[in-house]
Amino acid sequence: MKNPYEVLEVREGSSPEEIKAAYKKLVKKYHPDQYANNPLSDLAQEKIKEINEAYDSLTKNKSYNSSQSQRSQQNQSYQQSNSGQYSSGTVEYSEIRRNIDINNINSAEQMLDRIINRDAEWNYLKGVVSLKKGWYDQAFRYMTVATSLDPTNMEYRNTLNSLNVRNNAYRDQGDYRGYNQKTSFCNVCGSLLIADCCCECMGGDLISCC
Amino acid sequence: MFGYVTPYKSELKIREYNLFRAYYCGLCKTMGNEYNQLVRMGLNYDLSFLSLLLSSLEEEQDHVNIEKCIAHPISKRMVVEDNESLRYTSSISIMLIYFKFLDDWKDDKSFKALIANIPFSQAIKKAERENPVKFKIIRARLEELSVLEDKKCDEIDEVADVFGKLMEEIASPDFITDEETRRILKFLGYNLGRWIYILDAFDDMEDDIKSKNYNPLLLQYKYKSGEDIELFTQKVKISIESSLTFTLENISKSFELLDLKHNKEIIENIIYLGMRNKMETIFSNKGGQDIEKSI
Repeated sequence: MKNPYEVLEVREGSSPEEIKAAYKKLVKKYHPDQYANNPLSDLAQEKIKEINEAYDSLTKNKSYNSSQSQRSQQNQSYQQSNSGQYSSGTVEYSEIRRNIDINNINSAEQMLDRIINRDAEWNYLKGVVSLKKGWYDQAFRYMTVATSLDPTNMEYRNTLNSLNVRNNAYRDQGDYRGYNQKTSFCNVCGSLLIADCCCECMGGDLISCC
Repeated sequence: MFGYVTPYKSELKIREYNLFRAYYCGLCKTMGNEYNQLVRMGLNYDLSFLSLLLSSLEEEQDHVNIEKCIAHPISKRMVVEDNESLRYTSSISIMLIYFKFLDDWKDDKSFKALIANIPFSQAIKKAERENPVKFKIIRARLEELSVLEDKKCDEIDEVADVFGKLMEEIASPDFITDEETRRILKFLGYNLGRWIYILDAFDDMEDDIKSKNYNPLLLQYKYKSGEDIELFTQKVKISIESSLTFTLENISKSFELLDLKHNKEIIENIIYLGMRNKMETIFSNKGGQDIEKSI
């Protein structure tokens, strides 16, 4: 087994709080939602397993049980989000879904292309197939059509949303690392001037010369 | 290729910046030593990123030397000593440039391209000897690409898919033997190729309108001659921004699964900041001047 401190990316001798924070951060990073429709999702799951084991081994005597229950909660929520995928559809669509699930993308696509009546479900499944192929431009297009044809369907909407959420998460990572922070000094001056205006409105003054 | 894969300098430590440059210089020197001095003009950032990424998976630390260079005769520079990944990427560089010039010659009967290819005629034989399987696949993929271009394919995803598969192959050299790592590198490579191809197509739209060249984006979004270029560019941008960002997201997701032994910060910087910055600059700077051509 790997060194649990290395797995959790913390120094040896870190406090339980630090370990917990690192653990939470990593679980979030490799969460199944983050790897939905990604061909590497099984590797992310293994990573989660490794992180859980490392966390358990560091907290064994104290909060082993709580981390266990946390874990089963996570698994539950994953299964819930997965099980939603079997809710509706004709026999043909469920066959296509089955193909998608076992990563038989070619067959799924061939079956889809033979269908003439292209309703919301068709567009959604075509979107999922495009997503799995790495054809994201089409994926976004089909998903958008699916949600506009059937705005009440939560599955379509959630999938499209999750793509946008992941794009934002990618940007957050960059922002966190200092992307576009060049205007900090201007921001300070700007905020001071605004604060000054507010004070003046209230009868006080922050910057006496203006 | 294109040189879109660079770090975001202002958030890089000097030490990291120097090492990135040392890789760039290392690739250049290796091309000179392994092949000949003239092929060094085919150097580019995308492949020096790849050589940095591949060698970061090896246990062995980088060996950096301070050397003189014919391109910079006055000051000495830090250069990474050649290693397996530099030798590999230099042979791939030779192949890509050779085929590119060959393609230019076929397309435009450009004598410049024919003459430029002379130093590569010997080098390509050696490159083929060193990586015969990759050579065959690269040639086949590029042929597929020109077939799609000839028949004026109007789906950006479909054309970018071929280039993605080309990069998928390049990103998974034989000397990396761990199956999981190879899978991750392939997916990372696929998305990298896809991103480069689409961004380049977007970057070239204006030129391609003027010179009436093939560009899948102009066909997919149905550019009509005489249409306002700026408005059209805006329309395309809104549509491809999500898909390109999602491509970067997938690159970052693959990267997070790799077991890097060193240089993690530089690669993180390139993936989360540098490439995003390059993309956003191209999106906002349309018609503006060239950005950061040289480091």
